Amino acid sequence: MGASELMVRMGELAVSATPGDVLVTIGLGSCIGVALLDARRPIVGLAHIMLPDGPSAGPEAKFADPGVPLLANRVKALGAARLEAVIVGGAQMFSFSGEGGGNIGARNEAAVRDQLGRLSIPIRAASTGGNKGRTVRVHVDGVRVTVREVAAVEEEVYAR
Amino acid sequence: MTPQYTDMQLDALRELANIGSGNAGTALSSMLGQPVDISVPAAAALPLADAVEAAGDPETPATGVVLPIVGDLEATVLLLFPPQDEATLCSMLGVAPGTEDGRSALGEIGNILGCSYVNSLAAMTALELEPRPPETVADMVGAILATVLVTQADQTNLALLMDSRLIVEGQQCELTFLMLPSHAGIGELLGRLGLG
Repeated sequence: MGASELMVRMGELAVSATPGDVLVTIGLGSCIGVALLDARRPIVGLAHIMLPDGPSAGPEAKFADPGVPLLANRVKALGAARLEAVIVGGAQMFSFSGEGGGNIGARNEAAVRDQLGRLSIPIRAASTGGNKGRTVRVHVDGVRVTVREVAAVEEEVYAR
Repeated sequence: MTPQYTDMQLDALRELANIGSGNAGTALSSMLGQPVDISVPAAAALPLADAVEAAGDPETPATGVVLPIVGDLEATVLLLFPPQDEATLCSMLGVAPGTEDGRSALGEIGNILGCSYVNSLAAMTALELEPRPPETVADMVGAILATVLVTQADQTNLALLMDSRLIVEGQQCELTFLMLPSHAGIGELLGRLGLG
């Protein structure tokens, strides 16, 4: 395939319209991978959101607010016009919770859905919740999103 | 802003990790009836995205035992067992890996090692530290570590990892022991050492 994988690590985001590019986030636990796809052209983006919101400063996609609007601006800057979203992650791997309390995965998912709603971006597919980590790949070719859990096969959750 | 730590502070934390993991190693050794070696521990302050990769390839599967620590400081102890090492350890304990018994045995090892590590830290720093019951998960190393880091991430973009490896001699069995103090917890530890 000759695909080139671009890693999107915790709190980071990336966009691409280059054929063959694949945006990858490995090991989403309570974090959420937000994929934004143009409805017509092969333009994609992926943000690795860690928490719903919080004090500024830090990696640009650390928080759903402003990480999701920022990602939308970046894909639009590449020429995307009508955006669609696929969301992945937000698992609850442990029963205890840290600062802020509650189930961070579920709160992340709610915050991401809220941000997408404000931007009027429809969610076409979601692979969220549960208690398993996930790896997500967003392929420019075919505008596809694939998800893999530990020791499982990669599954396509969305393709245009 | 993200705090920085001086070399002297990191050295002091490394020394705590050294003593803590020494005690954990002794506990493991007496549990297994085998000598246990401790690698030279590391203490490093890393951006969160780098910290996720500190325990190796984030996509490799592992069993993780997590003990939240509460009391005078908040921290998380995380033990990571690669699948092969988990199988070796389980066979030494006479339980089948990947079963409920296997998971429970690993949880118990995590509990004993975590408590011995944390108790020695508490004794050295005169802090009250209380380990909570362990939770055991089997997943990708990156997903386990990221989820632990995120619980402490809202106030900081830097993670402090105190990292040791325990090696059961002659058994090809090795496990990673990580102590992750919260942002406030690091300050508390350093303060007690006169390096705050």
